[in-house]
Order: sequence, then C-alpha cells, then structure tokens
Amino acid sequence: MATAPYNYSYIFKYIIIGDMGVGKSCLLHQFTEKKFMADCPHTIGVEFGTRIIEVSGQKIKLQIWDTAGQERFRAVTRSYYRGAAGALMVYDITRRSTYNHLSSWLTDARNLTNPNTVIILIGNKADLEAQRDVTYEEAKQFAEENGGFMLKVNIKMGENVEDAFLEAAKKIYQNIQDGSLDLNAAESGVQHKPSAPQGGRLTSEPQPQREGCGC
Amino acid sequence: MAEGTGEVVAVPASGAANGLNNGIGGTSTPSNNPLSRKLHKILETRLDNDKEMLEALKALSTFFVENSLRTRRNLRGDIERRSLAINEEFVGIFKEVKEELKSISEDVQAMSNCCQDMTNRLQAAKEQTQDLIVKTTKLQSESQRVEIRAQVADAFLSKFQPIPNYIHNQYMSFLKPKNAVFISEDFFKALGRVKQIHNDVKVLLRTNQQTAGLEIMEQMALLQETAYERLYRWAQSECRTLTQESCDISPVLTQAMVALQDRPVLYKYTLDEFGTARRSTVVRGFIDALTRGGPGGTPRPIEMHSHDPLRYVGDMLAWLHQATASEKEHLEALLKHVTAQGVEESIQEVVGHITEGVCRPLKVRIEQVIVAEPGAVLLYKISNLLKFYHHTVSGIVGNSATTLLTTVEEMHLLSKKIFFSGLSLHTSKLMDKVELPPPDLGPSSALNQTLMLLREVLASHDSSVVPLDARQADFVQVLSCVLDPLLQMCTVSASNLGTADMATFMVNSLYMMKTTLALFEFTDKRLEMLQFQIEAHLDTLINEQASYVLTRIGLSYIYNTVQQHKPEQGALANMPNLDSVTLKATMVQFDRYLSAPDNMLMPQLNFLLSATVKEQIVRQSTELVCRAYGEVYAAVMNPINEYKDPENILHRSPHQVQTLLS
Repeated sequence: MATAPYNYSYIFKYIIIGDMGVGKSCLLHQFTEKKFMADCPHTIGVEFGTRIIEVSGQKIKLQIWDTAGQERFRAVTRSYYRGAAGALMVYDITRRSTYNHLSSWLTDARNLTNPNTVIILIGNKADLEAQRDVTYEEAKQFAEENGGFMLKVNIKMGENVEDAFLEAAKKIYQNIQDGSLDLNAAESGVQHKPSAPQGGRLTSEPQPQREGCGC
Repeated sequence: MAEGTGEVVAVPASGAANGLNNGIGGTSTPSNNPLSRKLHKILETRLDNDKEMLEALKALSTFFVENSLRTRRNLRGDIERRSLAINEEFVGIFKEVKEELKSISEDVQAMSNCCQDMTNRLQAAKEQTQDLIVKTTKLQSESQRVEIRAQVADAFLSKFQPIPNYIHNQYMSFLKPKNAVFISEDFFKALGRVKQIHNDVKVLLRTNQQTAGLEIMEQMALLQETAYERLYRWAQSECRTLTQESCDISPVLTQAMVALQDRPVLYKYTLDEFGTARRSTVVRGFIDALTRGGPGGTPRPIEMHSHDPLRYVGDMLAWLHQATASEKEHLEALLKHVTAQGVEESIQEVVGHITEGVCRPLKVRIEQVIVAEPGAVLLYKISNLLKFYHHTVSGIVGNSATTLLTTVEEMHLLSKKIFFSGLSLHTSKLMDKVELPPPDLGPSSALNQTLMLLREVLASHDSSVVPLDARQADFVQVLSCVLDPLLQMCTVSASNLGTADMATFMVNSLYMMKTTLALFEFTDKRLEMLQFQIEAHLDTLINEQASYVLTRIGLSYIYNTVQQHKPEQGALANMPNLDSVTLKATMVQFDRYLSAPDNMLMPQLNFLLSATVKEQIVRQSTELVCRAYGEVYAAVMNPINEYKDPENILHRSPHQVQTLLS
C-alpha cells in the first residue's frame, strides 16, 4: 500500500557536528533531498530532516539533526546530543583547522551522548582533491587513536553520502541485534520501562528523543 | 422422291447444262426440254448423300430378294401389305399406351382431389389458428419489452446496490452490533461504493423515479452513517493506543482519516483523540527526560543540570523542540492523504494541543530558574535562549497561538522583565549612595563595576542567537537602562568639585563608558552622544588650563584690562599696573613659561586617562595663551597707548611665541 514507508520498525536519531562551513547542511540536504545544494546558508541553531532507509530488511526512520557549526551556537547545539544513536562528525579535507578541531567535537560527543552512540568521521569535499590539506592516513590514525570509531573520509557530494548514513544505521542495528543482552547485564539495577521492547540501552537509541528520555 | 430432289437442283448449274446442250443439240434451250430436265435431275442426284433414299433402298433390299418380273409387279402390293401390317402393329401398341395414359390420368385426378382436399383442410386450419398467431405475436413483443426492462433494472441495481460479495459482507457488518469492529481494505471499498451510490442517486431524483431515488438515498445515508460511526469508533480506539514513544501510524488509520474527512465533526474528534493520546505521551516523555534520563541513566536526566540554569533551560527547550518536530511528523503521516482544505492548519492546531501538556511543567521549572535570580548576565542569556526557541519552535508549529509558544514567550518576557528590573535595581543603588570621586579623579569603583556588568551583558548578547533587529531593540533598552543612570550618577558625584576637577572626572568617566561601548554593535548613537559630552567638558578644561597659565605668569590681569580698555580711558601706559615696569616683570615670568611650558600644567590634567585627550587640551590651551599674548602685544605696540620703546618691553613677537610653544 502507498502508506508503506511509514511502517518503520525503528527510529534512529542522528546528529551532525563539526566546524562551520564543512558542509554539514549540504550532507543532510544531499541525503534527504538527493540534491546538491550550492551556497547553503549558515545554519541557525539546529535544523532537521528525515528519511526512511532499509537495513537488513527492516525499515528504519532516520531523524537527523543538523547543528550549527558556529561557536556562538554551541550552547544551543549541545542540548541536541542527548540520546543520539549516531553522530556524524564532519571535517573539510581542504581545511586543516576543521580537522584540528575534531578532538574537541569528539569530546563533546563522548560527554554528551551515551557510550554506545556510533560516531562516524566524515572527511567532506573529497571532490576538491587538488586542494586536499588532510590526508586519509592522518584521519585514519586519528580514528584509531581515539577508539576506532568508524571512518568515512572520502565523501564527494552525491557519491558516498548515502553510504555514510547507511553504514551508521547498519552499525547501530547490529548493536541492537547482538548488544542487547550484555547491555542488560551491564546495566543491571537501572530502571527500565517494562514496556520497552528489549530493555537494552541500545534499543532505546532508536527512539531516544522520547524513549530515551521518556521510558 | 427422286423428282423432288431433282427440282431442287434444277435452277443452278446452267454452265454445265450449257455445255451439255452444246454437245447434244446445239440449238435447243435446256429449260424447255422436260426430258433433259429430268435427266439433269437424275444426274444431279447424289445417292450417297440421300439418307432417305439409302434407307428406303436398304429396307427394300430385305424383302425384295428375287428380282423377277413377278416380284417386280407385285412390288407395290408387297410394299402396301407391309405398310398395312406395320400400321396395324402401330395401332396395337398405341392402344396399350393409351390405356396406360388413361390410368395415369386417373391417378393424377385422384392426386388432384387429394390436394384439393388438403388445401381445404389447411385453409380451415389457418382460419382456426389465426387467432392464436395474433396472440403469440402480441406476447412476443411483450416479452421483448419485458426483457429490456429487466436489463434496465439490472443496470439500475448494479448502479445503486452494493452488490459484490466482498462488499456484501462489509455491507452486512455495517449493520452488525457494535462489538468486534475490524476495519479492513474491504470496508473502505464498501464505504466508497455506498458513497458513490449516494451521489449517483441524485441523478435519479431529477427523473421521474423519485420514490426509488429517495428510498435508495435514505438507505445509503443510513449505511453511510452507520459506517462512519463504526469507522470513527475504530479510529478513536486506534488513536487511544498510540501512546508509544515511537508512534507508528498504520496505513489503515491513514485511510480512515481520508474517509472521515467527509464528516468534519468525526474527523475533528478523531484528531482530538489522537492529540490527547500524544499529549499525554509527550508529557510522560518530558517528565521522564527530566527526572530519569535515558535508559540506564544515559543521557543523564535533565534535572541533573539544574544547577547550570542555562544548560537546564536549554536542554528542556531542545527536548521540546525535538518532540514537537516528531509530533508534527506523526501528524503529517496521519493526514498525508487527506485532501480537505486546511490540513496544515489542523496539523498546527493539533501539534499545539499535543504540546500544551508540557507547558505547565516547563513553565514551573523555568520560572523557578528565573525567580532565583541567577544574575543579570545569566538572566539575559536565558532570555535570549527563550527567544531563540520561540523562533525555532514557531518554525514548526507556525505562528498560531499555541500554548507552548505562548508559554515560551511568557517566560521570555518574564526573564527579560526580571533582567531589566535587576539592572534597574543595580543602577538605582548607584544613585542611592553616590560616592565622592576618588582622589585621582578616575572612574569610581561603582562605575567600573557597572561597566563590567554592561560589558558582560552586551558580550552575551553578541553571542546570542537572536535575529539582528530584535537584538538592536534590546540593545537600545539595555543601554538606556544602564548608561543614563550612570551618567546621572557621575554628574551628581562630580557636582561638589571645582570646575577643573569636575571636568577631569567627567571626561575620565565618559571616556571609560565610550571605550566600553565601542566594542559592540548598535552603539553608534550612544558613542556620538558620549563624544559630544566629552567635548563639552574638554572645552572647560582647555579654558581652565589657559587661564591657569595666564594667571600664573601674571598676564591674566593685563590681558583682561587690555580687552576691556576703551580709547576714552586714555593711554594704556597710564593705567594702573600696566606701566612698562610691570609689563617687563611679567615678561620675565612669561619667558620662564616659554622655556618650560610643561611645568605650567594644571595638576588635574595628569589624572586624565587618555593621553590623546590630554594632548588636545594642552595644544588648544596653548593656542589660547598665544592669542592672548598676541592681543596684549598689539595693544602695547599701538602708539595710541603711549608706551615708550615698546620693542624693549615686549621683545618677542607673537609669531616667535607661537613657534616656541608649538
């Protein structure tokens, strides 16, 4: 039936973070509208987009919160990390400064999300290879040194964007599948809503905004 | 027989006859001689071609076997006898034939009679069936008419009756008691059909079939009402179950909303039901987020951060922003196929209703934060944050007056009010206990503190997320709330000082304000005003400094006298204290000033905070001194004033003086 897209099994909340001008809003727009948007205006506070994808036969709704990169919005954007199942940390491969700031973004992400949040590093603007300022190896090393989160450093507009979002979703889904049991053990003594389907912390991630806060 | 043939041949062949005649007689003409004609005839006869002759001869040969005289004499008789016998035989045979024919004729007669009889009987039968046939024909045409009617009736029924089987079940279920409602695809097909019939029936009403039309219409209306009521109850109970955090709108429910849009009241009630269910879900979610946090405590409950007002308020509002966005999505999913007008409005309205529940807990908490007076700067930041979220959330729920927006706006106004009242309190305290200016005539500690506060407020505004025009309006208010009392305070506290002290103090205070404001946007007007006031006090200082110098070197009295001197008073040289001796003594002092002008500065000038300002005062006051000397010089050099040997008295020209001083 035509309404099929609304029958999803999970909602995953994503957050996109990174310095200003690295192309976060473009990524979101590319993913949700499948169009490249030149001259994105600066994001004010946060913006929001959704798309339904399919992972292992399960329909998953991605609710993506695109944050402003400007420093003056930090206080506001920090409030949106709560209960994010995935964090896309973006830098611009042609600007080293955006890469240098990654560690502060990572700190924020680690402090403000839960331990199971999937963090993906995205090196954006790979189409500007001639102006590359940060090598793939460097970024890889950074990822390994900081706990081996997932790495995706060759995003060209329209090419690998899809992959980045999908892979994060796969990883989260995988965590739900195999992680729920020992998560329960680790969290014994923690209050759970009886109706929460799998009880695990990860299960809650898909609906972090309500379940995460609202079990 | 031979003669007949001969005559036929006689006319042609004259050539040959001529030839023959020539041979025999020579003089006689062929046609006149009968013998020759006969002869010719015989000669002309071709026996082999004359079949009759051949036949005759052949028959003759059968009985004329003996060519004798007797037989030749008897030939005729023989032939006649034979002819007689043959004729007799003939007669006998024909008699038989005649008998035969007679019997045939009798048979035919009998047949004819028989036929006649049949014809008569048929005629009679025909006469008898005539009636029947007429009747049959009539019946046939009747049956045809009836058949057409049947077709029409069929068409009518298929048009106006919910016939198909799958529909029939639903059709029956419309009328079943209210338990066990199950709504499926078929239900909507049946409902669609009923609706279509109801519409089609209107055509009937325009024809003569009004009774049928009315009846069908009534029936369909009844069915529709039952169906809608059933659907409504189902949708209502379905909506009531949508209290999960993730709200999965089923396709059937979406379809139900499409169907229900024809009954605005039911449609609205269903939406209300949905709103109420979601509303309590959101409230529960909010309270859980506040007090419990995520499962396992990560993320931590929002109230854990209540010691950090900005984060506390920010987290709550961010949570609500996200919840509002999600609820709007749910509604859009629910109503995506609804075609009625004003869907967008009703979505906004319902989102407003859904978020209404969280307003109270939100309000209570934010009020607590605000009323606790966390300090002007924090209050200001909170106020800006609230404004930002008002803007952000209105992007989702539109500008309709939803309670959430109203609450956020109220909180914004409250925080702003408390902020300004805090500021006013602070500044009015300044006025309550005006301190004397410090001995160094610099800005007072109260001024410094207030400016520090102002700087912090403006800086936090600078980093806020409020749109530009709103920010500008705020700025003007903040500035007038702080700066005006400050200026007043400075003026009051300077009022007991001497002119130079007062001016110095004011210049210093104004200068501090100016440098503080210069860092921020939208302060141009204020800066201009401050600069204006600074300049006014600068003028005072310049005059003070000039007269200070003139007094110290004794030129002041002389200058004043020269200025006020009128020609009828007589020569200047005769005036008291203006004799050449006094002038010479003054010039000694003046020379000392010229050699070290910096020693003749007012002590207050050293207290000036700005070196530029001080320099400006020195320069302009020096110009005044030069001008005064110039006037005195001109007067002394003037012969009317009867100074003897004036070059000896004032041995420096004004030009020299200016060069020395600059």
